[in-house]
Amino acid sequence: MPTVTEELRVTPAKIYEGPLLRVKDLVKRFPITSGIIFQRTIGYIHAVEGVSFELDTGETLGLVGESGCGKSTTGRCILQLYKPTSGSVVFEGQELTELKGSELQGVRREMQIVFQDPYASLNPRMTVGTIVGEPLAIHSIGRRRDRKGRVRELLDIVGLNPNFTNRYPHEFSGGQRQRIGLARALALNPKLIICDEPVSALDVSIQAQMLNLLDRLQQEFNLAYLFIAHDLSVVRHISNRVAVMYLGKIVEIAPSAELYQNPIHPYTFGLLAAIPIPDPVLEKKRVHKVIEGDVPSPDHPPTGCVFHTRCFRAQPICTQEMPPMENHGHGHSAACYFPLDHESRAVS
Amino acid sequence: MSHLLEINNLRTHFFTREGVVHAVDGISYTVDRGKTLGIVGESGCGKSVGAMTIMKLIPMPPGRIVEGEILFEGKDLTKASERQLQSIRGNDIAMIFQDPMTSLNPVLRIGYQLAEGMRIHLGMSKQEARERAVELMDAVGIPAARNRLDDFPHQFSGGMRQRVMIAMALSCDPKLLIADEPTTALDVTIQAQIIDLLEQLQDQFGMAMLLITHDLGVVAGVSDDIVVMYAGKIVEQTDTEELFGNPQHPYTEALLGSIPRLDETHRRELANIAGLPPDLVNPPSGCRFHPRCRYATQICVDKEPPLAPYNGGPGHLVACWHYRDSREK
Repeated sequence: MPTVTEELRVTPAKIYEGPLLRVKDLVKRFPITSGIIFQRTIGYIHAVEGVSFELDTGETLGLVGESGCGKSTTGRCILQLYKPTSGSVVFEGQELTELKGSELQGVRREMQIVFQDPYASLNPRMTVGTIVGEPLAIHSIGRRRDRKGRVRELLDIVGLNPNFTNRYPHEFSGGQRQRIGLARALALNPKLIICDEPVSALDVSIQAQMLNLLDRLQQEFNLAYLFIAHDLSVVRHISNRVAVMYLGKIVEIAPSAELYQNPIHPYTFGLLAAIPIPDPVLEKKRVHKVIEGDVPSPDHPPTGCVFHTRCFRAQPICTQEMPPMENHGHGHSAACYFPLDHESRAVS
Repeated sequence: MSHLLEINNLRTHFFTREGVVHAVDGISYTVDRGKTLGIVGESGCGKSVGAMTIMKLIPMPPGRIVEGEILFEGKDLTKASERQLQSIRGNDIAMIFQDPMTSLNPVLRIGYQLAEGMRIHLGMSKQEARERAVELMDAVGIPAARNRLDDFPHQFSGGMRQRVMIAMALSCDPKLLIADEPTTALDVTIQAQIIDLLEQLQDQFGMAMLLITHDLGVVAGVSDDIVVMYAGKIVEQTDTEELFGNPQHPYTEALLGSIPRLDETHRRELANIAGLPPDLVNPPSGCRFHPRCRYATQICVDKEPPLAPYNGGPGHLVACWHYRDSREK
């Protein structure tokens, strides 16, 4: 007798022909509480404030921004690891925010996550075989013996020696641990992997190995990635499209090459200017410091456009009303009253 | 005129239960007044240990300077007494660390921490030191400096704390500033602000800087010369433009090829450096990079290549039996 979860997994995929993932007006607020015994809410951290995007099968969407902009929270809200405050997350035509218990578990087979810190995301008391095989055990797939074979196969896919199954995480380097995390994410043949800063803790030579591996796996298994990172060079390398977040909002979204060549939003422009390029001749000519000051606190985000406090083009209107997302052609959208064009980029 | 800092054949080893860790194994370089030397390499290559050794900030034991000399204005610091070192640390040589969250004392007010060094080294009174602290905080771009003197470190953001660290480092007008990954923990927009500030202050105060980083982009814009380290040794050393324009060591080449660049026009596969950095208790024989090097031959396994001038010129040193030009012949 097919279980509920299997039905769920098979049926929608056959009839559904839209984007793999559709996020609409996603909002997540964390309460700030005060008091020792009687906790009362005295305010909210506005982590994610109305984020919308779509992601197709086999595509990579990069999500970039500075620390605290809500990019990781967005990733976790999609997986329903955090319950969104409002908004909708539709995966293969199914609304996830309304699902509970076993229904949700069924959908989670299709979407997995790789975490940032390879030292904290693997249980130090479990062997590599148990870690990579755990998703199979949780979803009761195959018999124990078959699972062992599958674990060896998975380790081989991510470029680790299949005989490592009885070792513990501390015996591995950071890069190898990240591969173990990736093998665990691949165990259930997911359609979507949320990569939450998967290479930021790694050295550059190891980072390159990991990025090449992610590239290869995507082609082999037709995976969709939501690639969350703060390093714009890495995101540019791996993504088809890129969304830039600032204080809980997406301020610009565009195909990768387009965004880097023609940034429209002043924040994107400043972010790109801030990144040093490993070329001393070019570096001498570039101006890095376009954005002044610090990111404001997300418990009292600025009124109007959230970026106006640091923007070099801000006008009175920016402090009053949040600019809407506008389409500028070529799949390029940005939320700004005074978008940059060729001339204004050259001047600033 | 002699060099401000001259390191000769320095070896710092750690004597641990697992064996002797050859963290820094025979490095030599010089830093001139007002210049910036960048030291790049991956984690565990010995770049930080090398810099900490200059200030004798490594725990001894288990660490020990096995060999070599550290000449600062002609004086050998390896032979200096603790008392002499005290008068140099924070005074002639100052240091900024990677993590601005942990390098300030959380229970002392910012103003007190800033003034401490000036009262010890420059013999200032409390009031004088406080006034000077305000000036320094202004110089590093902390808004409303006077009102923030009595704040605690947790009331500052990461970028602001790093500014406080810089102000503290500058307080005694040092001749050499050692910056160990000063921007690694910061967001890019803040990183740009801090680097800009460091360059501007260097012009203003005329100090030399030793910039230790893993980010090749950061050194490209700031350094005059660069040293590339691998597994406790220097593999290549030259001026910045030469290093990026004409890298000769296979490790330097691979390192440059492995970073995704913002100005790339088409997508390429990143250069892979196969394998992992070596264990420094039992480093590989011969050239330490040979197990990961695609050009390695028998000689690389048997004999260590000397750090020798490339092409006969004095400026560009490379330690490789098969450096790029020799392969192309």
